[in-house]
Amino acid sequence: MSLSRRNFIKSTALLGGGIAIGFNLTGCSKSPPFPNMSSTALQPNAFLQVTAQGDVILQLHKSEMGQGVFTGLTTLAAEELNMDPAQIIVQHAEFHPDFRDPEFYVMITGGSSSVRLSFVSIREAAATLAAILKSAAAQQLNLPESSLSVVDGKVVHASGDILFADIVDTARTVPSPEAVTLTAPQDFKYIGYYNQRLDARAKVTGSSQFGIDVQYPEALTAVLIRSPDFGGRAKSFDAIAALAKSGVRTVLDVDGAVAVVADTYWQARQAASAVTIEWEKGPLSGVSSDALRDERHTLLETESGKNVEEKGEQSAASGDEVTAIYDVPYLAHATMEPMNALAVVSPESIEIWTGNQSPDIALSAIADATGYRREQIRIHNQMLGGGFGRRILSDYLVEAARVAQLSGFPIKVVWSREDDMRGDFYRPNSSVKMSATIDNNVVTSLQAKVAAPSIMGQFVGAVSNTLMPQWVPDGLHNKLAGLAASSDPAATEGLVENDYQFPYMRTDYIMQETSIPIGYWRSVGHSQNAFFMESFIDELAARTGQDPLQFRLNHLPADSRRRKVIEEAAARADWGKPEAGQFQGIAVHESFHTMVAQVVSVSIEAKKIKVHKVVCVVECGIAVNPDIVSAQMEGGIVFALTAALKGDITVVDGAVQQSNFHNYEMLRMNETPEIEVHIMPSAESPTGVGEPGVPPLAPALANAVFAASGQRLRQLPLKLS
Amino acid sequence: MAELSFTLNGQAQTLTVDSGTPLLWVLREQLAMTGTKFGCGMGLCGACTVHLDGSPIRSCSYPVEFVDGRNITTIEGLASADDVLHPVQQAWLEMSVPQCGYCQSGQIMSAVALLETNQTPSDADIDAAMSGNICRCGTYPRVRKAIHRAAELSVQYYQPVDKESEAAS
Repeated sequence: MSLSRRNFIKSTALLGGGIAIGFNLTGCSKSPPFPNMSSTALQPNAFLQVTAQGDVILQLHKSEMGQGVFTGLTTLAAEELNMDPAQIIVQHAEFHPDFRDPEFYVMITGGSSSVRLSFVSIREAAATLAAILKSAAAQQLNLPESSLSVVDGKVVHASGDILFADIVDTARTVPSPEAVTLTAPQDFKYIGYYNQRLDARAKVTGSSQFGIDVQYPEALTAVLIRSPDFGGRAKSFDAIAALAKSGVRTVLDVDGAVAVVADTYWQARQAASAVTIEWEKGPLSGVSSDALRDERHTLLETESGKNVEEKGEQSAASGDEVTAIYDVPYLAHATMEPMNALAVVSPESIEIWTGNQSPDIALSAIADATGYRREQIRIHNQMLGGGFGRRILSDYLVEAARVAQLSGFPIKVVWSREDDMRGDFYRPNSSVKMSATIDNNVVTSLQAKVAAPSIMGQFVGAVSNTLMPQWVPDGLHNKLAGLAASSDPAATEGLVENDYQFPYMRTDYIMQETSIPIGYWRSVGHSQNAFFMESFIDELAARTGQDPLQFRLNHLPADSRRRKVIEEAAARADWGKPEAGQFQGIAVHESFHTMVAQVVSVSIEAKKIKVHKVVCVVECGIAVNPDIVSAQMEGGIVFALTAALKGDITVVDGAVQQSNFHNYEMLRMNETPEIEVHIMPSAESPTGVGEPGVPPLAPALANAVFAASGQRLRQLPLKLS
Repeated sequence: MAELSFTLNGQAQTLTVDSGTPLLWVLREQLAMTGTKFGCGMGLCGACTVHLDGSPIRSCSYPVEFVDGRNITTIEGLASADDVLHPVQQAWLEMSVPQCGYCQSGQIMSAVALLETNQTPSDADIDAAMSGNICRCGTYPRVRKAIHRAAELSVQYYQPVDKESEAAS
C-alpha cells in the first residue's frame, strides 16, 4: 500500500468541548477537484457554484442531524448573495480538504462548531461569488460595476435584470477578488431573521432521504451478529440452517462478527437467529458497571490524580471540610435511525451511502480496513436520523465496506435497535468527589476530583492507526493514546475554566483504565460535569443558608456573562415565586462558548418527579436562525430530561444489559414539560447551539427536587427514596 | 410465501411475500416506500406508524398477510397531490416541528389519526394519542402546538368550503 499520510499530528489540539482532536491528514500536495465540479459551472471555491443554468448550489460540508446546519449555513451564504435561502440548492458535500475544520483539522460535524466556524468562511465564499458575478456582468455588458447589484439570484441594472445563466461563461474567466467586504450586521436581511427550515418540507412529506432509505440496484441486506461482550470474536459458526432459509445468499465471518446476507432485511434478521456461534470472550468479559463504579470510588480515595487546574493558594482553604460523591452512568445515544450504511465495492473503488458526522475519519478507517487508498473511496452523505456524537464513529461504514468486499455484493448493513443499544460508544460513566471548606459560614475553597475513563484515550487509540502513516510503529499509537488519555479535557470540561470565585479552587483527574467503548455524547463532559458543579454549588448555598441564586451571584464577578444569563433566567421564571405546590431549581453552565441558564419547576407525588416547566435563557452571540436556536434548546432540554430521569446503561460480564426502548426508555410526550426559551440579544459572533442546552438541565432539576423534598440526589438518573 | 392484495394510498397492490414479514419491510424494501421508518422493531417508538383502514398501527410488528384486502395509508399518501400538503403537514411546517426528521412520518400519522376522531383535542388527548411516538430530538412541545394548529386548519379541511356558493356570494 502506498498511503501517503504524512505530517501526522501536526497538532493534537486538545480542545475543551468535545471532539478535540487535531490530526493533519494531508499527504498529497495537489488539491483534489471541488465536489460536483463541472466544466460549464462557475466554481471559485469548494463551497459554492453557479451552474450553466444559473442555479446556485451550496456544498453542505457539515452533516444535518437535526441541529439545523442545512438551513444555518445556507442562511450565511444567502446573506452575502442577497438571495432568499430557499433559492439555493443544497447538496451534502463529499470530502474535500477545504472542508476540514480549522480547529479539529478534519472534516467533521461536532463540538457545536458548525455555524461558529463557518460564520466568516461561508460568507466570504458567497461574497466572492457575488463579486465575480457582478464583474462578469459589467464586463460582458460593458457597464460600470457600480451600476450593478446582485439581488435575488440575478444581477440587477437599471436597464433590466441579467440572469446568472447568461454570464456564467464570462464569470468563469473572471479572477476572484483579493478581498471582499462582508455585509455589516445592521444590514443583515436573513441572518438573525430567517426562521424557516429548508429541510422541513421533505421531512413532513416523507421524501427526505436518510442513509437507511438509499436504494441501489441489486443491493442485498446484511445483518451482523456481534459478540455479546465487547471485544469478543466469533471462533466458529454453523450456518447450515440459516442458509436454508428464504432469501439468504451467504453467511460469512467479517472481522470477528458473523454477517448474514439476504435479499431483504427481514430475511437476514430471521436467518441470523438460526446461526449458532461459538464465541471467544473478549478482554472485558467479567466487567460490570457496578464494579467499575466501586473501583472509581476507591480511586477517589487512593489516587491523587493529575492536576488540571488550580487557582489561589491552598492555604486559603480554611474551615470545615464538606465532601460529596456524585455518580453518573453510561448512556447510549439511541439515535432514532439505527446505524446503517450501503457499500458498493469494485476492484477500483468503494462507494458508501450513509449518514455520518466525519467522512474524513471514515475514509481513513475504510482505507485501513480494506486496503484501498483514501482517494479510491467516496462517501455520499445523507440526512442523519439523529447523530448526537454517535455518527462521528466509522464502525458501521467499515462493516458495510468489509461485508461488500468479502461477499462481492453491493451491501446495505442495517443494525437493529438491539444492535444499536448494545454496540454504542457510550457517554462515559464518571464519579466525582466534590469538596469545599466553609469557615465562619464563608466558602473558602471548592475542589473537584474526577474519576472517569478517557474518551480521548479510546478515540486516539481507535483512530490513530487509521489516521497515522503506515510507518508509525504500533507502540507509538498506544503511547500517543496514553498521552492523550491522561489529559482528556472531556473528563473535566465544565469543572474548569468557569468564573466562580472562591479563595482556592482545584480540579484533578484520575483516569479509569477499564471501560466499555465510550464516545462523544451530546455536550460530552459537560453533560455530567455541569450536574456535579451546579448541584454542589446548590449544596453550598443550602449549607450556608443562602438562596441558590444569590449564592451564585455572590461568587461571580460583576461583569460575568454567567451572572447576566442567570439573572435573566431568574427574572423570566419569577425565581422565588413558584406556582402553588411547585418548587424551583436553578443552574447555569457555559459550554461550546455559549452560556445557558435554566429554571426548572417540579412537584413530587408518590415519590415521582413531575417536571412542569423549564425556563431557558441562552446567550450564543448572534442567533443566525433564532427559531432553530430555540428548537435546539427545547430539544436539548428533552434530551437531558431523558438522561436525568431515565438513562442508565448497565454492564454485566462485559455486555450491555439494555436492548430496546422498553428497558432504555426515552422521555415521551406526556412527560414533556412546558418549555420557554429566551435568546439574549447579542452583536457578537455566533457560538455553539446544538449541545449547550443539555448541561444545565440535570442540576437545575436535581436542585428543584432538593427544594421540593429535602433529598439531595447525587446520582443520575434521579430516583427519590 | 403468500400472495396478497391490498390498497396502498389508493392504489391496488398484489404481492408475493414471505409469510410473517412485517408490513414495514414490505413497504420499505419491496415497494420502495421509504417514508415509513424503522426505529425499534417492537412497536415501542412509533416511527413506523401507518394507517390500516384509517386506524394507526405499528407496521414494524404487523405481519403483512393481515393487511390482505384492506386499505393502507402511509405518509406518502396523506396529501392529495405532490404539491399539496395535508393540514397536519401544513401545521408541522408552520411550527417548524422537524429536527432530524426521522420520527416525523410516524408522528404525523399518529396526529392525523387523532384528528380524524377528535377534531378539537385537549392536551390530555394529545398526550394519550402521541405518547407512543418517541422523538429523540425532543420536538414534543412543537408537535403539541402543531396538533392544535392542525385542528384549526382541519375545520376547513374536513368541511370543505362550498366553492360555488362562495363564488356566488
